[in-house]
Amino acid sequence: MKKRLLSIVVMGLILIPFLLTSVSAETLKIGSMSPLTGPYAADGNDIKNGVLCAIDVITDEGGIEGYDKIELFPQDTACDPKQAVAAANKLINIEVAGVVGAYCSSSTIPGSATLAEEDIIMLTPASTHQDVTDRGLPYMFRMCGRDDAQAPAAVKFLKEALKAKTIFIVDDKTTYSQGLADGVEADCKKNGIKVLGHDHVNQGDKDFSAILTMAKRDNADILYMSLQNHATGSLMAIQAKRIGLKSTIVSQDAMYHPNFMKVAKKAAEGVYVTYGFTDKTTTAYKKYEKKFTAKYGEIGAYGTYAYDAATALLMSIKAAKSTDPAKVKAELMKLDFDGASKHVKFEKNGDSGSSYIAYKIENGEYVPFWSPIKGFLK
Amino acid sequence: MEYFIQQLINGLTLGGIYALIALGYTMVYGVIQLINFAHGEFFAAGGYVGVIILGYCAGKGIMETHPWLCLAGSFVLTMGYCAFLAVGVEKVAYMPLRKQSRLAALLSALGMSIFLSNGLMLTQGVFDKPYPGELFDGTLFEFGLVSITYLQVMIVSMTIVLLVVLNILVFKTKMGMAMRATAQDKTMSSLVAIGSNRIISVTFAIGAGLAAAAGIMVGLYYGSVRYDMGFIPGIKAFAAAVLGGIGNITGAMIGGLIIGMVEIFGAGYISGQYKDVFAFIILIAVLYFKPTGIMGENIDDTRV
Repeated sequence: MKKRLLSIVVMGLILIPFLLTSVSAETLKIGSMSPLTGPYAADGNDIKNGVLCAIDVITDEGGIEGYDKIELFPQDTACDPKQAVAAANKLINIEVAGVVGAYCSSSTIPGSATLAEEDIIMLTPASTHQDVTDRGLPYMFRMCGRDDAQAPAAVKFLKEALKAKTIFIVDDKTTYSQGLADGVEADCKKNGIKVLGHDHVNQGDKDFSAILTMAKRDNADILYMSLQNHATGSLMAIQAKRIGLKSTIVSQDAMYHPNFMKVAKKAAEGVYVTYGFTDKTTTAYKKYEKKFTAKYGEIGAYGTYAYDAATALLMSIKAAKSTDPAKVKAELMKLDFDGASKHVKFEKNGDSGSSYIAYKIENGEYVPFWSPIKGFLK
Repeated sequence: MEYFIQQLINGLTLGGIYALIALGYTMVYGVIQLINFAHGEFFAAGGYVGVIILGYCAGKGIMETHPWLCLAGSFVLTMGYCAFLAVGVEKVAYMPLRKQSRLAALLSALGMSIFLSNGLMLTQGVFDKPYPGELFDGTLFEFGLVSITYLQVMIVSMTIVLLVVLNILVFKTKMGMAMRATAQDKTMSSLVAIGSNRIISVTFAIGAGLAAAAGIMVGLYYGSVRYDMGFIPGIKAFAAAVLGGIGNITGAMIGGLIIGMVEIFGAGYISGQYKDVFAFIILIAVLYFKPTGIMGENIDDTRV
């Protein structure tokens, strides 16, 4: 008797999702993939909130014809390739019209391959590895820049603005961070900047005293930190300062996050980061800023790109009056609008251009410092 | 040479932290033969309670006027809180399973670990919490490559003090004698009026208190805490306890120091990406030649 009761309860629980999806037939379903738990949960939640914010804005402006509401199905990838594939399969079963995600390049690549089997549109707000769009997937789009654009921009900055002669590179061995670090190393060699060392740390490490002592011994002009996320970066910046490292710290887009400075405090001062240029005075940005901060708190690194990605997706669905991927893609390619992060215009391969500039951290703010085109900005 | 000395200091600091956490694993194992996988979470909880207390002090301005009082207060309160937390965990998750197979208690420990770390995430958020410890920043000694910070001195000396106190407690007091007796034979010791439940609670409390102290030190030393900070140090400290001979207090201290040193020297002289590999190679090598660990005795007469 007990066993039967148990099996009935289990069956009932299994059926709940089916009940839920069949009730809300007039809902436009979109998915997001980002790490909601684990070490990158902070960035992952930024992405989810960016998408939610875009949905809020579109709903406020009258929604999309033919749908009562737009619902987001946020999936947790935990920056793990296997979990990304599982999340993609789940979104396929939910029959979402499009997906915003993922965060780590190492989960976007396998996740998009799974979504591609069902021709589901994917827009990544944060994965900068070149292979994300270079594999020729027809429905893969990218809102942020590319690593092979970021590395040359960073090296140009090191050479022309900072007059660096020597460099010590540290990465934490992810598809993104190591790919970028390798790019910087190759470009430095081409540009006559001497690479004194290129070492790696593990994801989740907290203690960098050994590697920083090594960097202190080599005493390069630049310490290039290529790390997967800002939490690791703030730990490394603090320890570098404590150990008395004299090298200038230069880092990349993952360090563009308010929490980097909140944790590293004084140690963050004078650190340079390369990040896509976002004009914070545009009306599009102001609108996003107002909406986001009112509901979700401080703006992180990739929330803005996620907002633009979701906006682009929803606008295209609205214009196409359909969720048919081919029609939505045609509309996406036609898009030409000022997003919150940048001007959005997709290229043939799904990229939307890179606009990396160098920011300097001064008094707890990211101050635009140098652009590869215009030189010093101040 | 300077490089070697600096790495030695780095290794001592890291090793001291591992040793403090490893003691909790080894003491609990000594008494009830349970590997308490939730132990890393006591360490994380300690880091968080510490940041809450120090943050309160900084907010009220007491930090500026009485920094050492704040620090001492946060250590005492945090260690006390985590001791209670550990006793609670033991009563809820382990005591009901004491008569069951060891596997049941082990799974319960894993579950508790996930529960506690997710509880921290839900209540404290996913972001890193900065530690208000700038007042203790600063360098005591600098010569070329060698620089010793106040925090490093504090961590190493605090570790030594705690270890000495623990040794006195276990080997010189009646309570310690009772603990050692319980570890050797629960039935026999209960016949001479030693309440084993009480002793087990005390063991959990002491172990968690030490881990909590390590949590605050890590928070101060690295400048921030995060909800999942207990996992990796927990694994490393567990390895340290096994390396030293699980169940043996001196062994846990030595094991912690060895793991810390090997990691730092591995990273400093070969490559940072293999530092965990070196730590575990040493573990495997020691266990191959001496399966009970460096200080380990036969399983039958493990002691606290």
